[in-house]
Amino acid sequence: MKAPSEELTAAYGAALVELGKHNDRVIVLDADIADSCRTEEFRKAFPERSFDLGVAEQSLPTVGAGLALCGKIPFCNTFAVFAATRGLDMIRQSVCYNRANVKIVAHAAGQSMGYTGPSHHTLEDIAALRALPYMTILSPCDGVEVRAMLPVMAGLDGPVYLRLTRATVPTIHAGDYRFKVGQTERLADGQDLTLFATGDLVHMAMAARDALGREGIAARVVDVPCLKPLADEEIIKHGEDTGAAITIEDHSIFGGLGSIVSETYAAALCKPVVRIGIPDIFTESDEYQKLRAKAGISVEAITGAARQLLAKIRRRTTMT
Amino acid sequence: MQTNPAKTPLDRSQDAKALQELKLRAIAVRRFLLNLGFEKGIRLHYGAMLSIVEILVLLYDRWLRLDPQKPEWEERDRFVLSKGHAAPALYAALAFAGFFGIGEFASFRTLGSRLQGHPDRNKTPGVDCSTGSLGQGFPVACGMALSSKIDQGNCRVYACLSDGECNEGSIWEAALIASNLGLDRLIAIVDWNKKSSYGSMKNRNDVEPLLEKWEAFNWATYECDGHDYLSLSAALSRAESTKGKPSVLLCHTVKGKGIPWAEGTDTRSNFQLEKKHYEEALAALDGSEKEIRHESA
Repeated sequence: MKAPSEELTAAYGAALVELGKHNDRVIVLDADIADSCRTEEFRKAFPERSFDLGVAEQSLPTVGAGLALCGKIPFCNTFAVFAATRGLDMIRQSVCYNRANVKIVAHAAGQSMGYTGPSHHTLEDIAALRALPYMTILSPCDGVEVRAMLPVMAGLDGPVYLRLTRATVPTIHAGDYRFKVGQTERLADGQDLTLFATGDLVHMAMAARDALGREGIAARVVDVPCLKPLADEEIIKHGEDTGAAITIEDHSIFGGLGSIVSETYAAALCKPVVRIGIPDIFTESDEYQKLRAKAGISVEAITGAARQLLAKIRRRTTMT
Repeated sequence: MQTNPAKTPLDRSQDAKALQELKLRAIAVRRFLLNLGFEKGIRLHYGAMLSIVEILVLLYDRWLRLDPQKPEWEERDRFVLSKGHAAPALYAALAFAGFFGIGEFASFRTLGSRLQGHPDRNKTPGVDCSTGSLGQGFPVACGMALSSKIDQGNCRVYACLSDGECNEGSIWEAALIASNLGLDRLIAIVDWNKKSSYGSMKNRNDVEPLLEKWEAFNWATYECDGHDYLSLSAALSRAESTKGKPSVLLCHTVKGKGIPWAEGTDTRSNFQLEKKHYEEALAALDGSEKEIRHESA
């Protein structure tokens, strides 16, 4: 039976309305794309707590910081590429340095805006925001995780970046799933290697695991919904009893999940890591799936990398 | 304690004593800042600090709703020093208002200090917003004013920015937002000294006509003398009674006010004070103090 699917942004929009019902400090800020960000339902339900700043992406984090410093919990919505890179200076100076309780909701991250092209693709947000003190970075893989994250985000007193891709994804987590900041989730077990994945690519990792299983390779799949804070121990507990790791993300191979896992593997495990993500290029316009495939993000790419990696380990073991 | 300030314009005859005290306070603040920089032998933004002394003294001694014993009092007015490089002037105003002791300055800009090079709200009691990157404090103040509008509370938000800072695009983006949202609890105070860090803005990074720009952005504009308490308090009072749109005070000021050499030279804002200029400035302040005391005698 095919698992039910859900659009991440739609799940967010509905969860935001629910959050608003229980927390009147929640304020929604938009930058002229409330339709794309699915914040219109919140606007209808709570017009007195919803404000459209216009095409003013650099003001989203600063105006949000002002609201937060006066006790509100602003959810600032725009496309990830504008939220994280146009807004980076403001997020650094006015949100993180102020330690302001601002929630940045970054929509259509990675290459998920497909046809709109590289100006709207976000390849570097995790890399840039990871280096900011006090920042929490979340990247949900399905609608269940989105719903589990929103109340946690609101309850956490500090800056949070929620990375959403414009994608409809199969539901992976059970309905009673509980999200905790800083935790990873082992979705499937295996002893040969570990597939670390985040966001809408977690289900690709699951598909790759199935394909590898048919070849007799047992891959473990770990969902990384929280990219920061993420203690080494969280990576080690999944990586210590498998031989190698492959990371899978719709983000540059520099500074994202691949780098996070590699740093820990190099320092604590001394095991190889292959990073599957967007290489050092500006992308182009096309369908999301095709863009991912061109960047080398596909089930075939993952299984191919797994085979090569395990062969290399076997050669090394034979030589010693 | 100013938990319930009158927020009325000062009157030359009725408030003569208060006026004298405010003038003497400005002299004390200027003397303090000159000593701070000279004794430590450091570069300071004297230009930017000294042009807003009267603005800060009026706000912290008379105008803002605040309680130095409870810096985090939720219903307080908020003040954002968007031109964060004038931090020592803000620290002096806070210290004179009783937020912390003057002794705090011994550690100024050193490891472990509560007084950083630019304002840090997480370290300094009374600082409402961390600033330092120009063009950011003002939009944060817009967010604070939006919060006050949502709450329909008494909190007013005052943001001090400089004319040079008006070169930043983020100022005008936020100015549009504030007028579109009708943030009438927001008062921008522009230190209009016609110089930015590198010197005169004329024919270089000019922002004129500045008053007309703010009017075009649908703000209520009030022009005043930023060194004159009567003019400043009258403009503030008119701004407070403006409904439906944010207000801006365009304060004519003199960069480096109180250092005769800096006042008369197209100097940079940030410099180390030479002994002869320091001594000349102290003598001028002594002269002004005598005059003020003589006026009321």
